[in-house]
Amino acid sequence: MKLNGIAIDDTFAEAFGMAGTGVIITADTLKWARIAAVTMSGFGTSVIGAGAEVGIDRELKPEETPDGRPGVRVLLFGFSPDAAASQLKTRVGQCVLTSPGSACYAGVESDKRIGLGKGPRYFGDGFQTAKKLGDKRYWRVPVMDGEFVIEETTGVVADAVGGGNLIILGNDRAGLLQTAEAAVDAIATVDDVITPFPGGIVRSGSKVGSKYKGAIASTNDAFCPTLRGRVKSELSPDTIAVLEIVIDGLTSKAVAEAMRVGLKTIIDQGGPKGVTRITAGNYGGKLGQHHYKLRELLP
Amino acid sequence: MSGLTFRLTNAPADRLDLSGLTPKHLASIPLAEVLKLNVGTTKTGLKVGDVFAVSGKPGETIKFEGSTNKLDFIGADLEHGSIIVEGDVGVSAGSNMRGGRLDIRGDAGSLLGSGISGGEIFVKGSAGSQVGGLTAGEKFGMTGGLIVVEGHAGDRAGDRMRRGTILIRGKCGSFAGSRMVGGTIWTELGFGADPGLLMRRGTLIAPSVDQILPTFVDTGRHDLVVLRILSRYMREKLGALAPKPLPDLVRKYAGDLSTIGKGELLTTA
Repeated sequence: MKLNGIAIDDTFAEAFGMAGTGVIITADTLKWARIAAVTMSGFGTSVIGAGAEVGIDRELKPEETPDGRPGVRVLLFGFSPDAAASQLKTRVGQCVLTSPGSACYAGVESDKRIGLGKGPRYFGDGFQTAKKLGDKRYWRVPVMDGEFVIEETTGVVADAVGGGNLIILGNDRAGLLQTAEAAVDAIATVDDVITPFPGGIVRSGSKVGSKYKGAIASTNDAFCPTLRGRVKSELSPDTIAVLEIVIDGLTSKAVAEAMRVGLKTIIDQGGPKGVTRITAGNYGGKLGQHHYKLRELLP
Repeated sequence: MSGLTFRLTNAPADRLDLSGLTPKHLASIPLAEVLKLNVGTTKTGLKVGDVFAVSGKPGETIKFEGSTNKLDFIGADLEHGSIIVEGDVGVSAGSNMRGGRLDIRGDAGSLLGSGISGGEIFVKGSAGSQVGGLTAGEKFGMTGGLIVVEGHAGDRAGDRMRRGTILIRGKCGSFAGSRMVGGTIWTELGFGADPGLLMRRGTLIAPSVDQILPTFVDTGRHDLVVLRILSRYMREKLGALAPKPLPDLVRKYAGDLSTIGKGELLTTA
């Protein structure tokens, strides 16, 4: 099928069940809330290599945050609730606690809870105190610019989704990147999803396995333009670059919506920028529980 | 709104113990049996029917009309539903409440909400001593819930309080938060003398204090994020009844240093 001159493969994105959690980071200014959120999200690209996939869901107005200051919601996805809790503790302890003026609250509400302030509170060395309001408990940890306030727990959902994706191919590398950036910006308007890779975009799509012992993934040679002719390539002769957008979401519905929004943006804007084809990554449908068919997500 | 209404017909000479008159308890008793419930506290053995005219049918709400300060333990052990009192109440109203709402449209005696662990108590008038205090024989006073007194409160509010929030719109008496181990007491017109005597943890908030204990230390003026959370919590819970927003900077006194000193007295003026 072709739309606006862009071929769309009749295929599907294959995604996996993950544990998803989140936090709200606030600070005196949005700038500093963002700095803490970006720092916490660093090295949070692929759960395989980084332990968690982390990214900013959205910015929050003061009236949307527990303390009435500007904030940012960060989502974190791991293999299991325990794995997510471990990553959360480390990242919040190193990146949010340390950030001037910050405070940290539950960003996901669900019955299942994992520790948020349970670990970082011990930084208070016995001077920390708790304040329970309603059914929420907050820890107040004395720090050099006042107090770091952190909620004791946050919610975690065990049926989150990781690995929704769109792969775009084209004959203009710069135009392809601009189109992918626009798609990531559009996806950012969808709640409960993140695009965890740098700028939301992956240029090193992977295949399962490697010729080297011990490497569980390696370059997706079928989509590497410089290997065309040497391997069984997926690329047409005019394709010179391929970029992928990976999407994680707290719900399958959110991931589908994000893919739909991204797909529409690419179709609307990609043609003049050299986008020639859209496809999606899958493993034959046998590994992931969630399948997102491109034809069902078309505008 | 279904429920029973208890209208006081004879002003009793005795104090009455109304601790059994909760929606949950009355739902399991036929109306004829309700009239036979013992509410007296002397050997005269007063029954409900001797002092109240009862109307309506059991439901989630109970209403007391013509109440006086001799009616004790109204709303004690309330778990759910609501109790509305037109008039004053005696001692220990809302004692050991675990949920629901107690609305007192008059004054309350001492030990209002003693040992409360959940639910909400609203008093239109003033309250006596030991609001949210200690039920005899217990280790802690209030351990959860919310108490709002629109008038003044007597001495020792929050004695041995562990969790929960007390808001006194008027002035709070002496020794507020004595032996406190957690929770929040917020007064809009100030504390009397020596708040926080022997407090270990917890928060006391007031525009002024008549006298501060020498075992509290001035830590300076601070912008405390937790107060923003507290203010929002109060706005969400109380709407128009919520206290005025706190200033950006409050003065914090830490104490009581004769114990572990992790409590705080915050003055807002």
